[in-house]
Amino acid sequence: MRVGGRPLELTRIVSLGFTALAAAAFLGMLALFAAGSAPLWRQPGAAGFFGIRWFFRVHQFGFLPMIYGTLAVSAVALAVAAPLGIGTAFFTAEVLPRRARLAVKAGVELLAGIPSVVYGLLGVLLLRDFVVRLIARWEPLSGDTLLTGGLLLAVMILPTVMTLADDALSGVPAGQRLAARALGLTRAETALRVATRQAFPGLVSAVLLGLGRALGETIAVFLVIGRQDNQWPQRLLAFEPLTTAGQTLTTKLGGSETFISYGDPVHWGALMGLALVLFAVVAAVSLAGARLTTWRGRRA
Amino acid sequence: MRRGLDRVFVFLAGACAAAVCALLLGIAGAIVWRGLAVLDWRFVTRLAAGSGGSGGVFYEILGTLILVAAALLVSAPLATGVALTEAVYLDSRPRAGRWLLSALYAANSIPSVLLGIAGLIVFSRWLGWGKSWLAGGILLGLMILPTVSVALIERLRSLPRKYVEAATGLGLSRSQVVRSVLLRQSLSGLVSGLLLGLARAAGETAPILFAAAVFSGAGLPAGIRDSPVVALPYHIFVLAQDSLDPAVQDHLWGAAAVLLGLVFALSLLALPVRLRIHEEAKHA
Repeated sequence: MRVGGRPLELTRIVSLGFTALAAAAFLGMLALFAAGSAPLWRQPGAAGFFGIRWFFRVHQFGFLPMIYGTLAVSAVALAVAAPLGIGTAFFTAEVLPRRARLAVKAGVELLAGIPSVVYGLLGVLLLRDFVVRLIARWEPLSGDTLLTGGLLLAVMILPTVMTLADDALSGVPAGQRLAARALGLTRAETALRVATRQAFPGLVSAVLLGLGRALGETIAVFLVIGRQDNQWPQRLLAFEPLTTAGQTLTTKLGGSETFISYGDPVHWGALMGLALVLFAVVAAVSLAGARLTTWRGRRA
Repeated sequence: MRRGLDRVFVFLAGACAAAVCALLLGIAGAIVWRGLAVLDWRFVTRLAAGSGGSGGVFYEILGTLILVAAALLVSAPLATGVALTEAVYLDSRPRAGRWLLSALYAANSIPSVLLGIAGLIVFSRWLGWGKSWLAGGILLGLMILPTVSVALIERLRSLPRKYVEAATGLGLSRSQVVRSVLLRQSLSGLVSGLLLGLARAAGETAPILFAAAVFSGAGLPAGIRDSPVVALPYHIFVLAQDSLDPAVQDHLWGAAAVLLGLVFALSLLALPVRLRIHEEAKHA
């Protein structure tokens, strides 16, 4: 909304000032983590952070167990939520009439609004027992497993994936659908060949933004995952490690080590290093997701 | 053959939708069913008792409301400034505007636990506040800033161009146009964005984990320094970690139902406006 005017007006100065303040707060946060992690990088043998052992009492700070945990729970979450969410979006955008579509979307948005601590509670009280029965033949020690965390995350990111995929599909111009149907394509062919091709960036974006949420979620995962250090699986792409407890980047940061490490610059630096990694990965995934739709669409 | 595939497609998509709806109803049903069994007037008006797992959640509700109010006061002015900057003042510089918008998306994606840790460093250690409700309010306000800003930006962008032309034609200065036309007309965007953001803020645990919330021993905060609050999400978070006692489980379901009621009340208020704006923005 372009409005001409002098550069020095109170409203403009206050607006730009508030924007600068907000930007400073977020950039300052990044700077805090970078500065805080400096002792870790400066430590002799700093490449240790690329290791598979985290024993803070003997100053071994390998990031890989946490990175593995984060990737494992996110992979489970995506494997469940992406097909389910996109399938639902096909139904709401291609099959349901507009009113019913909005009703389903409203319900899904409510699902998105459930606080993560409530999801965590559901995980502790209901999902944990279910998972124990599900994986009984792997003889898990408890229901506190990476799989539980992943399934819980799947439910949590489902609304994000579904609602964004629906936006992408229903954003395809109605004329294209009419033309396709007039050419004799069935509803399925119209949806899969015409609408999907048009909406493809939007669908990818929906999955990426869901992934971004999964990577950064803390509280719910913390409650069900068991928090066992040094979980480095013997076979990386196997199912067994999912049936054991583990740590993710977020559960490590949300746990007690954040409190007890403050007096020890290297330990604190290692946690700040984890924070930086988490920040970078989540921002990259989410920006890639946002870029696919918003940048192209709204502000071309 | 093609008809058959069409039916398979509709069936599979419908099955996904049915599963999602069943999940929604199942989750809501479980909480309402188990929660209502515990919930009564005394549960919301009495103080927590025992080791926290019995009695009511009066101060927890109060603490959550304090945090939400503080977050509102922090995010409303900041978000208004950011939205005006993006939608009005940077409109002649699309590159800068695009940067700001993607910065908002990046900020929105920041895991909330990182805000909690930043709060621990800045408020608890540097400023020496210990645990403080204000730190929690500021952190929650920053967390919802992108949500609120983007909601207002969407609304500002959907306003008809002729409003500005008419106002400028009447001789209003830019500040006057911004304040009395643009902001007045897009108030619904700000309000719905705020409600939605505050619904999220009410339920978040991670930002208040280190710098704001305690499990017990806090009532009304008297100052800023060392004035923690008890809050519903943190209450549930702590109790859920040790939840084998059935009586504690009942208490947990009750607390979850109260929290969910608070969150849904805020987001249901926002929902009609939000869906309308969203659909309008897409078809504009």
